[in-house]
Amino acid sequence: MHRTVPSLPLAPSVKVKLINAGFQVASDLIDMRPLQLCKEVGISQQEAVEVLQMLRDDGQPHQQRAATESLTALDLLHQEQALGSIVTFCSALDDALGGGLPVGKTTEICGAPGVGKTQLCMQLAVDVQIPVCFGGLGGKALYIDTEGSFLVQRVADMAEAAVQHCTLLAEDTEKKIQALEELTVEKILSNIFLVRCHDYVELLAEVYLLPDFLSEHPEVRLVVIDSIAFPFRHDFEDLSQRTRLLNGLAQQLIQLATQHSVAVVLTNQMTTRVSNGQSKLVPALGESWGHAATQRLILHWEGLRRLASLYKSPSQMEATIQYQITVQGFRDAPDEPRPTPATSAVSSPSGNHSKHPRMEDRS
Amino acid sequence: MEWEQLDLNPRIIAAVKKANFRSAREILCVSGPDLQRLTRLSKTDVQRLHCAVAAAVRKSKPVTALQLIRGECPVLEAGNRLSFSCRILDGLMRGGLPLRGITELAGESGAGKTQFCLQLCLSVQYPQENGGLNSGAVYICTEDSFPIKRLRQLIALQPRLRPDLPPALIHSQRFSDNIYIEHAVDLEALQACVSQRVPVLLKRGLVRLLVVDSVAALFRSEFQADEAVQRSRHLLAFSNTLHRLSHEYGAPVVCVNQVTDVVDGPNPGRCDYGLVGSKVLPALGIAWANQVMVRLMLRRLVGQVQSDSRSSAPRKLEVVFAPHLPRASCLCGVWEEGVRGIPDDHSDLQPQGSS
Repeated sequence: MHRTVPSLPLAPSVKVKLINAGFQVASDLIDMRPLQLCKEVGISQQEAVEVLQMLRDDGQPHQQRAATESLTALDLLHQEQALGSIVTFCSALDDALGGGLPVGKTTEICGAPGVGKTQLCMQLAVDVQIPVCFGGLGGKALYIDTEGSFLVQRVADMAEAAVQHCTLLAEDTEKKIQALEELTVEKILSNIFLVRCHDYVELLAEVYLLPDFLSEHPEVRLVVIDSIAFPFRHDFEDLSQRTRLLNGLAQQLIQLATQHSVAVVLTNQMTTRVSNGQSKLVPALGESWGHAATQRLILHWEGLRRLASLYKSPSQMEATIQYQITVQGFRDAPDEPRPTPATSAVSSPSGNHSKHPRMEDRS
Repeated sequence: MEWEQLDLNPRIIAAVKKANFRSAREILCVSGPDLQRLTRLSKTDVQRLHCAVAAAVRKSKPVTALQLIRGECPVLEAGNRLSFSCRILDGLMRGGLPLRGITELAGESGAGKTQFCLQLCLSVQYPQENGGLNSGAVYICTEDSFPIKRLRQLIALQPRLRPDLPPALIHSQRFSDNIYIEHAVDLEALQACVSQRVPVLLKRGLVRLLVVDSVAALFRSEFQADEAVQRSRHLLAFSNTLHRLSHEYGAPVVCVNQVTDVVDGPNPGRCDYGLVGSKVLPALGIAWANQVMVRLMLRRLVGQVQSDSRSSAPRKLEVVFAPHLPRASCLCGVWEEGVRGIPDDHSDLQPQGSS
């Protein structure tokens, strides 16, 4: 056994004492008896027993696990492609993201209130369930809601639109028709798990419980936290603690994304920053948070248009695309020539904001 | 925190107590390696500790959206809404105000925001099957004094506003008894009211609607232009209290907001929420907007609208953003009996010249 003492899964204080007593490698310890170890090293008898127990327990598997697998870059590429991505039903955005939201990575969606962050998250929770034969992942979703903006009525609308969309896509292939029969609004709703967190402690607790949840539900391919900013933006006198907690969260989420092959989506708010007398809208939670997610998508208004900018991505080019939110959900913008912001200020009659005036009784 | 009740090895519990941890929050806020160092436990022990404490903190296990829509989890999604007492307005809002979350009503002075709030204070008192919540309302005034005469007029004319309800039901309601009026003269009084007196009323089930008229007045007057950071902090603390109360008791919170003028053109440092061409925007900036779940804007239009030989200036109620509603608007008028929506096919209306 060639494992060095520092790499053993023991409490740090015990390790320090072992090293100070001269034990460098695991094989030095194997022949010792508890009382001997206790006297030589200066640890309690209980701790000595535990050390020897641990060494005995994983003597065999250690040697097999000793050399970690090394992967080639080609293997990694195959693995990444096999993971897939979640479509958003907005083809422009899917193209910009290289197919959709990547599984196995964390994506942050920032935007001002009302621009469509929650809509996109709900759309993803529905889209992750599209059957494999239609090009989807056939997975489930976990939605962690901290703001209380997950209104199931809207998700039901999106689910219905998704089923209709798939019905249109289904040709006469038997597999697709069979998959379509199982894809009902109720099935879609039953595959979205919702947890509501009311403050940052509950959110931290939920993230600690995620590994167990994901192991119990291996079909979950999407975890949404909407929003991660809300519980962290007030109540913190100590901003350095906030940064520490956020960094810890980011690390845990990245680990979860890779270990359990899920896409993690976080939504963030915007805040105003004044620099050189000019004010700008920037993502909240500070500068260091900018490094937390693998990809960053910023949703913003430009006059009447809603735009999504891919701001940070290791694999895709920066791009800005237009989208719209319809009754069916998050979709491509219609292909009409849009007036520039200057003229639209003049020519927007009052009635145009109400595209679908809700006169009829919708309840 | 009672460490014994956690499902853990007594050795781990002893180490936690020895390291002087008092609450679940302290354990969850410390990272794995730091916890190992402070308690001298091993990595697996610390993981078990984190999981056990997290399970104790978690209030309820994940539920599916199907369970929500079937009404099996009333704590998370009640299924019903607070009606406006008008079929057309309810139609705009897909049933009415959501029970959890802050709804903001912004508009210029004279637009009719207070009228809406008074109407909601009456509507909340009806039974649930008639669109109410069978409970009272708290009305916090920060600007003018409470319009008690107008409230009495509205109460007297309720049968005209709600012809769908049996008159006996309306007459049996003791409307004025169930509306609690508070005046807050400064921010401290406002925060005290919302954190001390309002929770008592909510806990006893006496009220299930909270109206703040208006939220802008005190925040704009007490902070100078350059004290934006402090103002944000107080705003966040205040809105967090409202948010917590709303979620805990399933009580809609309506906040009336003022508007600011838009003097320059589109400004990248200011969010317009897609309200292109509007000369006014809701006040209090993006810090407040981030806390609001449903934002409504009320605009007064020129012209007149008739109903039964009475006339009123028309208003446009617009949904600026909401998680479950599209950008839509409807017209309404303010009459003696209250606010009523106007159906789309009304011909004597001149909607041009909207602000």
